[in-house]
Amino acid sequence: MLILVPSISAASLRAASSQAFPKRRLKRERTTDLSFQKTAAAAPCDRQASLTFLPFLFISMGSKEENGDGEMDQTVKKYLRGEAANLEGLQDKKLKGQLAIREELYGKSAKAAAKIEKWLLPSEGGYLEAEGIEKTWRIKQESIAREVDILSLRNQYDIVLPELGPYTIDFTPNGRYMAAAGRKGHLAVVDMKTLSLIKEIQVRETVRDVVYLHNELFFAAAQKKYPYIYNRDGTELHCLKEHGAVSRLQFLKNHFLLASINKFGQLHYQDVTMGEMVGNYRTGSGRTDAMQVNPFNGVVALGHSSGTVTMWKPTSAAPLVKMLCHPGPVSSLAFHPNGHLMATSGKEKKIKIWDLRKFEVIQTLSGHAKTLNFSQKGLLAAGTGSFVQILGDFSGSQNYSRYMSHSISKGYQVGKVLFRPYEDVLGIGHSMGWSSILIPGSGEPNFDSWVANPFETSKQRREKEVHSLLDKLPPETIMLDPTKVGTVRPARKKEKKPTKEEREAEMEAAVEAAKDTDIKKKTKGRNKPSKRAQRRKEIIDRAKRPFLEHWVEEQETFRKKQKTNMETEMPKSLQRFVRQKAT
Amino acid sequence: MAEKKRKERAGGGESRTNKKFKKHSNSKGLTKKSKDKSNMRRKRTGPRLPSALRTELDRLNARISANSDDEINSDVEKDVYEYEEEVPQEESRKNRRFDPVENYEYELPEDFEDENVSSDDDDDDNDDDFDVGGNEGNLIEDLDDSDGVEEEDDGRHLRMLQGITGMSNDAFEGKKKKNNVVISEAHPESEYNPTRDVLEGDGHITVQDLLEPIQGKPGYSKLRKRVQYMDRKSTSIQAPLPKADREKLERMAVYEHSKKDITKWEHLVKRNREAPTIFFGEDVDLGFSTVGAIASEFEPRTEFEKKIASLVYDDKVIEAHKADGSKLLELNKISAEDYMKHRNHIAKMRSLLFHHEMKRKRVKKIKSKTYHRLKNKDKLKAASAEMLMDPEAAKEQARKQEFKRAEERMTLKHKNKSKWARRILERGLNAQDEGTRAAMAEQLHHHALLTRKINTVKDSSSSSSDSSSDEDDEGSDQDRASELLEKAKEKTLKVLEDDEEVPNSGVLSLPFMVRGMKKRKEEAIEEAKLALQEYEQLEGTVGAVNLKPATASGRRVFGMANNEASESNNKIKTDNKKMKMDNYYGNSDSEDDLEAKENLNITGGRKNDVEKDAGPNCVHKEAADVRQDSVFKNFDDIVRDPGPKTTYEVAIFTSDSWRKMKSENGVDANVKKSQEIKEPIVQNQDLKEGEEESDSDSEEQMVDGILSTGPKDSYELPSQSELIRHAFAGDDVEEEFEKDKQEILNDENPEPDKPVLLPGWGQWTHIQHKKGLPSWMLKEHDDAKRKREETLKKRKDAHLKHVIISEKLDKKAEKLQTKTLPYPFTSKELFEQSVRMPIGSEFNPETAIRALNRPDVVKKPGVIIKPIKFEEVHQHEKPEDHKRSGQKRKPNRSKGAVGKMKKQ
Repeated sequence: MLILVPSISAASLRAASSQAFPKRRLKRERTTDLSFQKTAAAAPCDRQASLTFLPFLFISMGSKEENGDGEMDQTVKKYLRGEAANLEGLQDKKLKGQLAIREELYGKSAKAAAKIEKWLLPSEGGYLEAEGIEKTWRIKQESIAREVDILSLRNQYDIVLPELGPYTIDFTPNGRYMAAAGRKGHLAVVDMKTLSLIKEIQVRETVRDVVYLHNELFFAAAQKKYPYIYNRDGTELHCLKEHGAVSRLQFLKNHFLLASINKFGQLHYQDVTMGEMVGNYRTGSGRTDAMQVNPFNGVVALGHSSGTVTMWKPTSAAPLVKMLCHPGPVSSLAFHPNGHLMATSGKEKKIKIWDLRKFEVIQTLSGHAKTLNFSQKGLLAAGTGSFVQILGDFSGSQNYSRYMSHSISKGYQVGKVLFRPYEDVLGIGHSMGWSSILIPGSGEPNFDSWVANPFETSKQRREKEVHSLLDKLPPETIMLDPTKVGTVRPARKKEKKPTKEEREAEMEAAVEAAKDTDIKKKTKGRNKPSKRAQRRKEIIDRAKRPFLEHWVEEQETFRKKQKTNMETEMPKSLQRFVRQKAT
Repeated sequence: MAEKKRKERAGGGESRTNKKFKKHSNSKGLTKKSKDKSNMRRKRTGPRLPSALRTELDRLNARISANSDDEINSDVEKDVYEYEEEVPQEESRKNRRFDPVENYEYELPEDFEDENVSSDDDDDDNDDDFDVGGNEGNLIEDLDDSDGVEEEDDGRHLRMLQGITGMSNDAFEGKKKKNNVVISEAHPESEYNPTRDVLEGDGHITVQDLLEPIQGKPGYSKLRKRVQYMDRKSTSIQAPLPKADREKLERMAVYEHSKKDITKWEHLVKRNREAPTIFFGEDVDLGFSTVGAIASEFEPRTEFEKKIASLVYDDKVIEAHKADGSKLLELNKISAEDYMKHRNHIAKMRSLLFHHEMKRKRVKKIKSKTYHRLKNKDKLKAASAEMLMDPEAAKEQARKQEFKRAEERMTLKHKNKSKWARRILERGLNAQDEGTRAAMAEQLHHHALLTRKINTVKDSSSSSSDSSSDEDDEGSDQDRASELLEKAKEKTLKVLEDDEEVPNSGVLSLPFMVRGMKKRKEEAIEEAKLALQEYEQLEGTVGAVNLKPATASGRRVFGMANNEASESNNKIKTDNKKMKMDNYYGNSDSEDDLEAKENLNITGGRKNDVEKDAGPNCVHKEAADVRQDSVFKNFDDIVRDPGPKTTYEVAIFTSDSWRKMKSENGVDANVKKSQEIKEPIVQNQDLKEGEEESDSDSEEQMVDGILSTGPKDSYELPSQSELIRHAFAGDDVEEEFEKDKQEILNDENPEPDKPVLLPGWGQWTHIQHKKGLPSWMLKEHDDAKRKREETLKKRKDAHLKHVIISEKLDKKAEKLQTKTLPYPFTSKELFEQSVRMPIGSEFNPETAIRALNRPDVVKKPGVIIKPIKFEEVHQHEKPEDHKRSGQKRKPNRSKGAVGKMKKQ
């Protein structure tokens, strides 16, 4: 058994950048990977980086098998995706039989999936365990560095780039590549596996945000006036002028939408496949820096200075949800990958965790957070000042508590924290570059190549691109509860009958349309003006007919109604005559 | 087998009884029907009886029905037969109507007994039986009717005689008989007219009697034997059923049989129906896969084929081919492909040419006026399009148009002067058909158009330039310039004279607004005066130049440039005014202002262009410049005006030209506040928190920020703006949110309008007045209110104070949901649960996808589906069928179910 024992506060092994290591400053002409200087002790290694951070604790197999059945049941239940239909009261025998067969197949499928999960996805996430009076949040990165393998050690480093401003970062969905953007115009694309710089460019204007599109080939950068799209080689592909001066960018990878919020609080959605502007809405709540996509349903959430969080979809001009989260301005927000949890932080020194199914606060933590991020396994990182705190929920009751903490050397100000997918790594963009620290148990240990493949080859990437384009979802599928797709639409309120004027207008329009139609040229004799006029008249009459018929019908029903009314309203002595006549 | 039998007994027992019952009931039904028929006929055709007799009959019938059925039946039977025999020849046809009845009678006695015994179990059956019995009774009565009448007559007669004479019955009867016997015969006695004693009683003619005369003749013994044989087997032959009934019975029997036969398929059919997938043609060998394979199997059969084969496979030929064939091919220089290409190309060209020729020919032949008219129209359209494209063509076009117009004016070609038109007019327009009339009208119209057009040009020019049209200053540019000046003067004077009425209400009537307006007006007047002075000076100079006398001109007038200039002047003015207003009120609309300014520039530019065309532009340009300058001055003034709402924000959005004003702004006391806000931000040095102004500023800040963020200040004092925001934020955030929510709720579920009566309506008397609104109105209102409250309660965010969940329908997203439940489903829950699982390959393991997505029928293309074949099916097999796993099932199924069917 390997247990991480926190070390004595050994300053000697401080991994953060120190004066001992010479720093190379990044210059904009330089494009080789030498421009990076890893400050942590990292032995160059030719082998591929391991997929995930190794589990810190091995659980004995015996204990695992004991509760194997229970676990299996749990996983089977998970894959069944809900209760089976109750066929007891069903009258239709045929349907009953069909549904029974279906259910059986579903059950089999779920069982097979559970088995696959058990045997083919054996990797488990790691975690830290403290012994005795030790606390996990006192464990320093240096002490972790002592225990982990060399490959993992490579992920502990600080990159110091003092010239080009505070940095923001973004990872590709598979965690293989990182785009970093310096405030003063430095854009860099880094391969995280080999830790080599692929390309860096200097755009010579303010860059506020950077975001990857569907794969590592393209990324968008929010610059001074407009967002731009670049490819991996740093070639500018598009300038998205309609977005204006964008402060935050987000990419919805299932819908291929690039969402942006600009200085004036306008939310733009642009389809990056066809370039169509899907939505352009004014939030009416001023500028904001807090923007996040809910990965579960594609809803974009914005945090505002009035303390509200609004959630948007590209097909409606009004927010889907508007919730008052904080009395002060909302400084940042983040979504749990399962889409049910949202964390918000307010300027009033509170971090709140919300259940989005009930729209209720689950937990309120105290503390500032300038930036928040959930990891794939549900750890929550919060950065403020030069301090990063990681909160964990290990009890499974959504009760977040302190898990780890890290303070960046020399008080570099944290701008953005972002967990690297499929790795136990947290990337931190700060005022003097970016750093990477190890957070055991943050990344998903088992990757699904259908979803994202960290070891993707270029061929696979190409194929995936085509697949994902074929599977691209239309923007209207974004809704609060995407499971509602395909179900029965709730009954609508009764539509009002069109008024007389409306109907008349409709008829007019129809007649106009009929008038506009070209009359076919007929042969000699039948093409006389009189004949043509007659034909035209016929066409118009034909266009009018349905409306007139409808009108007549209505009149008739009205008359009937009146008649019946009359009958019932007759004096009682006369009513019998009416009845006699009727029969 | 035993089990099966038992089952059948269990299951089939019921059916068997049923069947039996059916049979009986059927037969009975049949008889009943026939009986009914006979009854009906009877009723229709039977002799009419006097009512007295009928009562007598009824009495009799009652007595009969009281007796046991059987006896009566037999009695009646006999009676009927006797009666039938006695029926005279003529009436026999009538009597044949009883045939169905006879039929019934021969069947009935046995059946009747049976039924009563066997069908104890069925109540209905019994009822039927009884019914039948009743009917029988009726029938009997009916039968009695005919013969009973005569008997009755006789009996009555007897009784009457008895009563009169007091003698016994016998005496009369004997007398009657006697009477009967003494009947003379009118015809001679012969074979064909048997004697009376032969007809009566003892002298019956038997077969033997008939045979005696031919005794000893050849064939007699044979005949006798047959007769004897027939005698021995003498059972009475029943009358055959009518054909329809017979066939019906036959069909029934066949049906029963075939039903039994078919039920054995039930299991098979049921199994196929319940199977999620049916497989057809598993592992069927489709035979040859290639043409080569087919060819290799070929064997020459006919003589011709054999001959050919012998030639083809001749050794010599093969050898020769081997030797030369390849060489020959090599010599062939043109490849087949090339040749084909060439040929195709030629053919294509030729066909194109041909088609083109044909088309031209056809087009040339067309005489249709409409066609030509349309063609001309198209040409015109094309020409107009061309005109738009280049000025050269436009000129040409204009000249053409002019020529046409002139021609029309000269010739009056379209004014019903043509031969055709005159002829039509002679005949009378009313006599013509619609088309001709329309054509005439069109001609007239055309004429009017061509002659009128020039007038309109004249009119417009004269109206637009009031004085210039008469002055005719086409040639001299100087004239125009002076005119322009004059006009400008006029306009300015007008402005001077114009007293803008001060609005009495609205925002403009507010005292400070009035003051502001006055001030501005004064300025404008001053400026106008200045402009006037300048104009006068300029006019002096222009006048000096403009000495040439005015020359006469043609019809065409070029007043447009002049016009435009004045217009642009006007425009500038209006723009100017508008801008003033804008600046004064909405400082938020700064962008609009900018636009307006741009507009102004553009119009100014246009004006300049126009003037260039006109001639001495320098003069005018100056004037325009002056004007523009004044405009800018105005702007400055406006900015200097201490507007109550001019804030810092405005400055942000303004473009370069406004920057300066911003600096001026700073001097003002009112704007100081905004600067105050700005200063702490500059001090702050936190990049992101600081409000980004124009980016040129922010870059400086950025550098500051980086340089200042040293390792030392780990803790940062919150910036002042932050502090301020903190201080003011918490207060009314919740309240605002509440308000927001209320607004949205009202928006989505609007509150019902308050009931209002038309003023004076229903208030004739004070009583009505006191009553207030009518009750139905109040009720309606209350209902609407309640409804609204209910809907509000139903909202998802009804209990969440801090959340607004929009309930607006998304029409685009609606198409992702079904409007109605799909057919077999009846409940929404069931349907939604049934579609909860994704069945795609991304969501399921490889082993399960196939089974999940298998179609109802699996069949290979080209496989013939053979009809179902019978096989023994054990009922236990069925449940197993479903339990087979997706993968295993396929092979299994191929053996089972349909596969088995085929084997048999």
